[in-house]
Formats: sequence, structure tokens, C-alpha cells
Amino acid sequence: MTEVILSVTDLKKSYDDVTAVDGLDFEIEKGECFGLLGPNGAGKSTTLAMLEGMEDPTHGSVRYYGAPLPSDYQSRVGIQFQATALQDFLTPFDNLKLFSSFYDDPIPMDQLIEQFRLRDFLHRDSRHLSGGQRQRLLLALALVHNPEIVFLDEPTTGLDPRSRRDLWDVMTDLKADGRTLILTTHYMEEAEVLCDELVILSHGKTLLQGTPEQLIKDAGVSDLDTLFLSLTGETLVKTQEVIE
Amino acid sequence: MSAIGRSLRRIKSVFIARSLEYLRDRASFGWNLVFPVLIVFALAVVFSGPPRALFTITAVASDSLPELVDFPGVETIEAARNKALERLSRQQTDLVIEVVDDSVNYWVNGNSASGAVLELLLKYTESRPLERGETDGEAIRYVDWVVPGILGMNMMYSALWGVGYVVVRYRQSGYLRRLRATPLTKFEFLSAQVLSRLLVTLTASTIVFVGTNLVLDYKMVGSIGLLLLIALMGGLAMITLGLAIACRTASKEFADGLLNAVTFPMLLLSGVWFSLDGSPEWVQMLAQVLPLTHVLEAARAVMLDNAGFTDIAIHLAVLVGFCIVGMGLSIKLFKW
Repeated sequence: MTEVILSVTDLKKSYDDVTAVDGLDFEIEKGECFGLLGPNGAGKSTTLAMLEGMEDPTHGSVRYYGAPLPSDYQSRVGIQFQATALQDFLTPFDNLKLFSSFYDDPIPMDQLIEQFRLRDFLHRDSRHLSGGQRQRLLLALALVHNPEIVFLDEPTTGLDPRSRRDLWDVMTDLKADGRTLILTTHYMEEAEVLCDELVILSHGKTLLQGTPEQLIKDAGVSDLDTLFLSLTGETLVKTQEVIE
Repeated sequence: MSAIGRSLRRIKSVFIARSLEYLRDRASFGWNLVFPVLIVFALAVVFSGPPRALFTITAVASDSLPELVDFPGVETIEAARNKALERLSRQQTDLVIEVVDDSVNYWVNGNSASGAVLELLLKYTESRPLERGETDGEAIRYVDWVVPGILGMNMMYSALWGVGYVVVRYRQSGYLRRLRATPLTKFEFLSAQVLSRLLVTLTASTIVFVGTNLVLDYKMVGSIGLLLLIALMGGLAMITLGLAIACRTASKEFADGLLNAVTFPMLLLSGVWFSLDGSPEWVQMLAQVLPLTHVLEAARAVMLDNAGFTDIAIHLAVLVGFCIVGMGLSIKLFKW
């Protein structure tokens, strides 16, 4: 029987007179890959920040195994932020060492180096890493303490197709390890390949929720991109491309 | 592992990471060493040679001063008696005059030829009773006087910008947000920043101090230990001030403005380049609320006058106060 790891009830977040998230309700099961989809400004990152415990909701709640978020919640989750800088002049090795020291029982560095294939650029200044190398390093840093839940905020945005596929492999491995993955993405193909459950957001509200197959079947379309187009009048990827 | 042990482990790691970042930034590191050395040598060259041939009289009170003060070529400034005598012993002034009731008290430095000339002129021109006092002390060169100022200025820039600007850069780039998602506490992060920058500041100051002294042989008659204590407290006071400025600021441009707003008054009013003895009282009072003023007054007292701990205790106490307020504000107001 599956177990609910995070449950969200009537979640709202407002900044002054702007409502970024407007009454979300959903549950995330342990070990699943849960996707938050939506165009820019839909409230994905704000929702993710509240699930991560980085932002407090204006209204409603996020519960962990049915209880309020515990004080050591940050030690149970790993977060890969959408835009994270690292300290200048430090190498991936320095960063792994630094982040490992924050926890009592980190994953051995050699294991992380192998798992995320960091060996070839382990002693290179982090400012000189490629997009894919950088994302692999950030993911390794998010997982250094062996967290139960991993948050990924648009992890493949801006990567070339090869690097994106590489990262998908890493995420598939994490899922196979039994971790709960929660990701936001602009790429429908990514959501179809990786996610067990999806919530499509628009203007802070839920438009649709279900498994990718179920959503496609119910809408009678060929793929998620077409479904999204019919819901919002624009494709996610095209929206992103215009912005980039 | 205990909570304190965990905390120390995290502080150590952030300390090492920040120090590595600084040491590998060779341009910044080099500039911190080269800049003050260049300034010291430039001033040593510009102000080399004999002192100016101008007589300087320091008046303790301005009423009914002797006719001598109006002589051509005589410059007169006002100062409190202890300050005036301190200047006389360094031969920064040639004669000190204080008019009390209907008599004129004056002091000369027994080692000063200018003082002897002024004494003769005073005796020749003054009709009121004269009361003589004497101090001694060798003349100091401008470079002797300005070296503590340059070391202090370098410490101020290194401390304020090296912490304040860097923390704002971390915040703006999202690095602090990344750290917030770890068990690292504000106190641990801030402590590591303070310790790392303190090590850098003290090391750079020591290298510049020793290196320039080997060549210029400037005056240092006091305790090296006391001077280190002043550098330690001064460095801490200014680093914590930098942290307080950076504790919430998210814009590098705004931080730039704030840091300039703090460093400019210190550069002008703390006695880096020139003494404020002759300046209006309110300016001198304003200077006392600046940490660099206390660093420089204490350092010059030790280096030039062999002052002891009790002589500079008040300056150290003020610097401790700055540290407590700066660190307290930083921890209270800090935002990742």
C-alpha cells in the first residue's frame, strides 16, 4: 500500500496584492515522481518553495506524513534550485566537501562522484563548467545527505539534448532508489518520461491532475504538449523558447 | 557528535571555503597587499626631506594670546592641553601656549631648535609673566605618522568590502538561498565569514607592516602584542560593521552606496592622512563615533609614544562595543 509523504491543503501564497498560488490541494505518494507543470507565472516555483519549507504559506498547509513540517525537515529533503550560484574559485570537489560537512552522515564523496560522473571535472573551477556538468554537480550537492525527498526546479532548462538525456538517466536512477522526486519543468516530453503524477497549474490554480497517460487519454489528444496547448493556448516549450 | 561539535565543524568548513575563494582570487589578494605598500612608498618619497620651515604654535585657549602668534610664518592651531603636549613631544608643534589669568604658560620640546627660537621670540615680545614647561621626544617623520593610518585604511576596506560586498553578492546570486536549505545556521555562517576575513586582514596587515618597516624603518617604540590586539579588535569591529550593512541588502549597487557612505567619513575624519587637532570641536566629536578613529589613535599611541594597555583601554572598549553591536545586529537582522 502506498503512503502519502506530503499533503497539500488549500495552499495559498500572496505577495502584497498578487496571488501567486490560489488554493491548491493534492497529495504526493512516497517514491513517486510528481510533476508541477505550467507556463511562467503559473505558481510552480512558489508552490515548490512552500513544499520545500523555504516559504511559509499565506493560507493552508503542507503536511509531512500527515503532520506539520518537522524542525529537521531541511535534513530530510534535497533541493536543486532553478538558479543557484556557487562560490567563485571553488571546484566541484571543494563544494562536495563543503556541503558534506553540513550533515552528520553524508554519502561518501567517491560514491557521489561516480554516481553523478563528476570525476572528469572534479578539480575545475566551478565557473568554467558546462551547463550539464553544473546541473549534475548541483544535483549531487542536493543529494549529499541522502534525502528522502528531492526537489528539482526546472533541472534541464537551458541544457542541450544530450545533457538533458543524461540528467533524465540520473533522475530515473534516483526514482529506482525509492526516493520521492518533485519537479517542475517546461518540457512535456520530460514530464511524460519521468513523472508518475502531474499537476498542471495556471494562474496559481490547478487546471488538471492525474497520471500522464490518464490525462492524455481523458483529453483525447496524442500527447501532453497538445493537451497543454488546448488548456492554455500555448505550448510550454514554445513559451520557454520565446523567453530564452 | 554534540551540537557544539557539529556547529564548529560547519563553521570550519565555511571558513575554509571562503578563505580558499579569497586566496584563489589572486587579483584581489595581490591588490590587498600591493596597494598599501604602494601608498606607503609614494608618501615616503613625496614627504621625504626635512620638515617644513614653518613655526607651529598650539594654543590651549584662544583668548589673549601673545603677539607672537600673529607673526608672519607662524601657524597657530587650538587643542586641548594633553593633545597639545602630545603633539609637542612628537615635534608636530614647536610651542604650546596657555594663558591663565594674567600669566602665560608655555612648553617647549628640549630637542627642538624651532622651539628654542620661538621661546626667545616669546620672551622678547611678551610683557606678562611667563611660566616655562618642557617636554622631550624626537621628531617624527610624516611617514611615521601616516603608516598606522594606511594600515588602518587598508584594514577598513578589506573588512568592510571583503565581507559586506561578498555577502550581498552571495545573496544576489542565490548562493545564500542554497545554504539556507542546509542545516547551516545564521550564526555559523556569519562566524565563518568573520573569522575568514579576520585572518586575511591580520595576515595582510602584518605582511605590509613588516615589509614596509624593513625598508622605511619607521617609528615603532611600543608593544607588538598591543598593536596586534588593536588590529584584532579593529578588524573585528569593521568586519561586523560590514556584516551589519550586508545583513539584508540584496542589491550590489545599494551595498556599494552604503559601504561608501561608511568608508568616506572614516577616510576623511579618522585621521588617516592628517590630524584633526586643529579642526572644529564638532568634527572631532563626530570622529569619535567612527571605529577607525579609535584604531588609529590607539595604534599611534603604541607605535609613537610607547603607550601601555591602560592608555589605550578606552579605545579597545569602544571597539569591543562596536563588535557587540555589529554582530548582534547582523545575527538579529540577517536574511539569507
